[in-house]
Amino acid sequence: MPRPGAVIEVDRNTPPVLFHFGEGVRLEKLPLGARIVYPPDPLEPIAHPERAIKRALAKPLEDDPLKSLLRRGMKLTIAFDDLSLPLPPMAAPDVRQLVMEEVIDMAAEAGVEDIHLIAALGLHRRMTEDEIRHIVGERIFSTFWPDRLYQHDGEDPELNVYVGKTAEGEEVTLHRRAAESDLVVYVNLTLVPMDGGHKSMSTGLASYRGIRAHHNAKTLLASRSYMNPPDSALHHSCIRQGQLIEDTVRVFHIETTVNNHAFPAIANFMQKRETDWSARDQAMFLAMKQMTDLAPPAFKRSVFHAMRAPYGMTSVQAGQVDAVHDKTMEAVRNQLSVRVEGQTDIVTMGVPYLGPYNVNSPMNPILVICMGVGYMFNFYRNKPVLRKGGVLILTHPCRCEFDAVQHPSYIDYYDEVLSDTRDPIEIEKKYEQRFAEDPWFRQLYRKSHAYHGIHPHYAWIWAAHGIDHAGDIIIVGGDREVVHHLGFKAATTLEDAFEMAEQTVGRYPSVTHMRMPPIMLADVE
Amino acid sequence: MIAEALKGKTILVTGSTGFLGKSIVEKCLRSIPEVGRINLAIRSSARRPASERLEREVLSSPAFKRLKEERGEAAFAKLVAEKLAVVEIDLGRDGLGLSDAGREQLRACEIVIHSAAAVEFDNPADLSAQTNLLGAARMVEALKATGTRPHLVHVSTAYVGGMLRGLVREEAPHDPGLNWRHEAAVLSSLRGPVEEESRQPEILKRLGREARSRMGPAGTPAVARATERLRDRWVKDRLIERGRVHANAMGFADIYSFTKAMAEHAVVELHGDIPLSIVRPSIIESALEEPFPGWLEGFRMAEPLILAFGRGILRDFSGLPDSVLDIIPADFVVNTVLAVAANPPPDEKPRIYHAASGSRNPLRFRGMADEATKYFAKHPLRDRYGQAIGTPHWTYPTREELATRARTALRFVEAAQWVVERLPLGASVADMSDDLNAERERLDRGLNLIQLYGVYTEVDCIFDTRNLMSIWDKVPEAERKTFPFDASLYDWEHYFQDVHFPTVVRMSRAETVARKGKQPTGSTAVKSESSSVRAAIERRKGRSDVLAVFDVDGTLVETNVVEYFLWMRLRAQPINEWPGFMAQMLREAPRWLYLERRSRAEFQRSFYREYNGLDYEVMKGLGREALDAVTLRRIYPEGMRRIREHKRAGHRVLLLTGALDVVVEPLAELLDVEVDCAHLLVKEGRLTGDLQAPPPAGEARGTLLEEYAARNGIVLAESFAYADSLSDLGMLELVGTPVAVNPDARLSQVAGQRGWRVERWRMAPGNWRLPMPDPRSLEYREAVRR
Repeated sequence: MPRPGAVIEVDRNTPPVLFHFGEGVRLEKLPLGARIVYPPDPLEPIAHPERAIKRALAKPLEDDPLKSLLRRGMKLTIAFDDLSLPLPPMAAPDVRQLVMEEVIDMAAEAGVEDIHLIAALGLHRRMTEDEIRHIVGERIFSTFWPDRLYQHDGEDPELNVYVGKTAEGEEVTLHRRAAESDLVVYVNLTLVPMDGGHKSMSTGLASYRGIRAHHNAKTLLASRSYMNPPDSALHHSCIRQGQLIEDTVRVFHIETTVNNHAFPAIANFMQKRETDWSARDQAMFLAMKQMTDLAPPAFKRSVFHAMRAPYGMTSVQAGQVDAVHDKTMEAVRNQLSVRVEGQTDIVTMGVPYLGPYNVNSPMNPILVICMGVGYMFNFYRNKPVLRKGGVLILTHPCRCEFDAVQHPSYIDYYDEVLSDTRDPIEIEKKYEQRFAEDPWFRQLYRKSHAYHGIHPHYAWIWAAHGIDHAGDIIIVGGDREVVHHLGFKAATTLEDAFEMAEQTVGRYPSVTHMRMPPIMLADVE
Repeated sequence: MIAEALKGKTILVTGSTGFLGKSIVEKCLRSIPEVGRINLAIRSSARRPASERLEREVLSSPAFKRLKEERGEAAFAKLVAEKLAVVEIDLGRDGLGLSDAGREQLRACEIVIHSAAAVEFDNPADLSAQTNLLGAARMVEALKATGTRPHLVHVSTAYVGGMLRGLVREEAPHDPGLNWRHEAAVLSSLRGPVEEESRQPEILKRLGREARSRMGPAGTPAVARATERLRDRWVKDRLIERGRVHANAMGFADIYSFTKAMAEHAVVELHGDIPLSIVRPSIIESALEEPFPGWLEGFRMAEPLILAFGRGILRDFSGLPDSVLDIIPADFVVNTVLAVAANPPPDEKPRIYHAASGSRNPLRFRGMADEATKYFAKHPLRDRYGQAIGTPHWTYPTREELATRARTALRFVEAAQWVVERLPLGASVADMSDDLNAERERLDRGLNLIQLYGVYTEVDCIFDTRNLMSIWDKVPEAERKTFPFDASLYDWEHYFQDVHFPTVVRMSRAETVARKGKQPTGSTAVKSESSSVRAAIERRKGRSDVLAVFDVDGTLVETNVVEYFLWMRLRAQPINEWPGFMAQMLREAPRWLYLERRSRAEFQRSFYREYNGLDYEVMKGLGREALDAVTLRRIYPEGMRRIREHKRAGHRVLLLTGALDVVVEPLAELLDVEVDCAHLLVKEGRLTGDLQAPPPAGEARGTLLEEYAARNGIVLAESFAYADSLSDLGMLELVGTPVAVNPDARLSQVAGQRGWRVERWRMAPGNWRLPMPDPRSLEYREAVRR
């Protein structure tokens, strides 16, 4: 039986604790009395995923078995999540590959010939051939690429159809092929509670017109947090859009969950609590620390980004979206939830080298904030671990580095927008339209491998709630100029950061360190 | 007594477009309301007639601002119409080129103030002789020809005595036994022989070589133009040199004081029965009070020194620290001239007056340096990074010692520059090159200042002012406030701290405020230097006859033709063949570097032969892949923003480049702009390595652009061009708004000289990669397998 997550109080015997630091790691001594929150150990994966998948397809929740929905001559579309999930990318075979192979086999048996596979990437970047091949597997890739396996394009004037408006006035668009299919099978992989459910279709196959309905500062500030759908305005909006889509097109949802076994053997120490480190873990830590302290960033990046996670599948369910998603959420919570008692004045977190939007590229400053103040801060239920007005301390080198191919609009956003204003509402007024409609970014999104022009804004507002909630945000080890440009404070060491926090939270603050990743969801009472 | 004496008088002022001349006119209008008429001797220039010069070069000067404000615009215009008139006088022609009307005007004059002169110390010998010496002689001759006897006030300089020691009396200047007519003839005929000398084969060849080394890649016409410019410069330098040496040999500091001394001899000899007064000001600097404190036009003597001091250009200066530096505020000189004009000599004997401060209120050279130290400590100038510049501590070595030091340093810098210009690194050494340029300029200017002005700081003499003081004694108390000219009336500290130094700093537009809002290192944010280009784009919004033409390699993308070639070839080869291929490329590298430096066109021709025999369709495919792998990664975000700004403004955008179609066309397609690039001949599906048309480098680029403009109805004078190298000069020269982007050392110099905008665009930080495909990627392995 794997151990559940735990909250440990720092005493004299507590060893220094691990902080992720971009493409590097730090060991830090926390003050006596501070709490360290550890994620639960990975749950046991399902022993035979293929069998579980077959079972789920044969006995779906509140829907007919998939087999009965397939018939000769039908138009079948399989949509699947893109490479922003899971993180790090999963060691082959990817769960989605297993599911899709099963679905395609079943369709072939039923004589379905018109099958298209669409990567539901929303406004994310187009993946490279290698990346797609990794998700779908060699067999599917060689059969379907590139005519029948392709990527969604939210800017193609022909390929996006307007579905309608929700009761709240949110516009809904859908990829034409999906809209015109007799059946859409959505193959999902859920890592965090934000993913899956109605959000899959309503963002993955939508255009900017549909996505802007909920990807805006107002909605996100009202999502507390977007990691807990019942309290998330973002999800309420997605559900309304999703329901409209379900009314238009027949969708069969297949959702999978994985455990949180995020790091391969080489980085096993990241997975374990420091008190459990073996001699081998100690040695690996020292070796990695030495390497990351000395090596140039590009080399470190190539080492880190080559890591594949040995995730194991913990559940698979298929059928009607709400029924399926309820089960999915339950499985996710089983894996991620940690009970934390009460809020603290200071929360510390180490920001790792990877977030959803920088697979195979450096994590640029905007993405650092999106990851640390956005995603990581929002891993809570009920209320944040950080008290309102407290100090959030992150560790990350925060270098001024941008991937020119993947994040061209981030460069302009960083240079032009953030030097003007950092207020999400004001940015929306002044800049949203320009970035969303910029022809050059549109071209790069459609033809190259760039995130959509508006994407940096979404990354920025993903942190809006965190910025609003925290009294101060300090980035330890961050490039001073960059951190100031982002509007935060830079500290050289964690001790300095605690000193600086004193002005906001007093001399003897309570401290909690969220020791992630592996990720967890803090259930704060 | 002054106003009274000049009441109703008709005055002629020569040199009224000059600083002193217009100050005199202004003072007359303001303080002598009953003056009869002031005739301004102005020559029509090639560009504008005399009347327009009066409006633009005299009346619109800040000197008249006070008068306009006090009287109001309308009353001022009335005053001008009533009192001022233009006489077309050309001092360069015998008889002054007078018309009949002009002769009448001249005849009516009762006072003639001759203040026209070529005042630069380093004018060519012939110009100085013509203006200063012959001009004065012609003036006197013309006056005699009219048959009238106006009072002639000849403005000279206190340094006509040459380099004297001790007291210099207000007497005729020392005569080294020279005949002024002979001197005038020799000096003004110098140009012919020097011009001839400049066309001698050795010299012309040397200048041609220098021009080629500076402008080679820009094409033949540009080299020819550069040669001619260098020759012109050579002639001028030679004439300046001849003048200076001649003046020095005769015991004068420079050609200016020498020709002025000769002019005094001429005037004294020729004046006959015309009453003659000579006013000899020392070094004229900004006005103390009138028309406003700090009124100054153009940089005169001490200003370059003061600025050089503040900017740290002169780390040391020669001179005698205790010698008297004779500076006199302009308004005091003006009052002296008017007072002298009001007191004509009673007989035919010329009277001479010094307008100088040395005897009444001596300023030591060290005193000025101390004042400068004090001032710049409080208000430091700032360098281009916004840092305050510390003031130097002068030790006053001898002039020779200092010049030797500067020359040695200059030689080192020039050697370093030689090396840097030949480095094959393009824009990446731009900063270093800029620094060297700045250092060279600093040394050059320092050396120049030492040569020009050093001698004035070694003058160990005092100018007697007893003649002038005898007039001062006659000025009634009431008028002394209106026309002060006694140098003991002011205090040097006040003059420098509150009047002169602030004026000099203001006029130089030197940076005095620390800059704020620094961008993070490596930022590609919009920089202030781009604002003027952006404003120009804004002004020409919505005009489809405006073109923005961009070079590609080095201007929009940090690449060159070699890197693309490398990438595409490596991509198509199995990894075990890489080392052999690389070795072969390295062997060729020195030859390419040499060719690149000589001429971009030759280099491209030679390099493109490497494409011989490659499959065209395969290369096209590789070119498309290179777009993501190379081009987009190395693109300059600022360049992309600029293209979009032009497109938003409705301008046409053209990429004009010598790069190959296979790599540029995918980019142009993505950008949705037109492109004109190099195409190789294709034979049976394979590239031949021969170009279809001459590579668009050097002058060919200009022609291509002109052709394009003619075809599409583009107004080039309103258009924009962006380029990074001297080989694009032909294109940059054609358009109204040329922008040098990341210029190499040589283009940077040209841009600096012509005042073109220079912008530095950068790759987004963290994107530099070797120009080779990732051998571990599946895609590479797949491609090789195929």
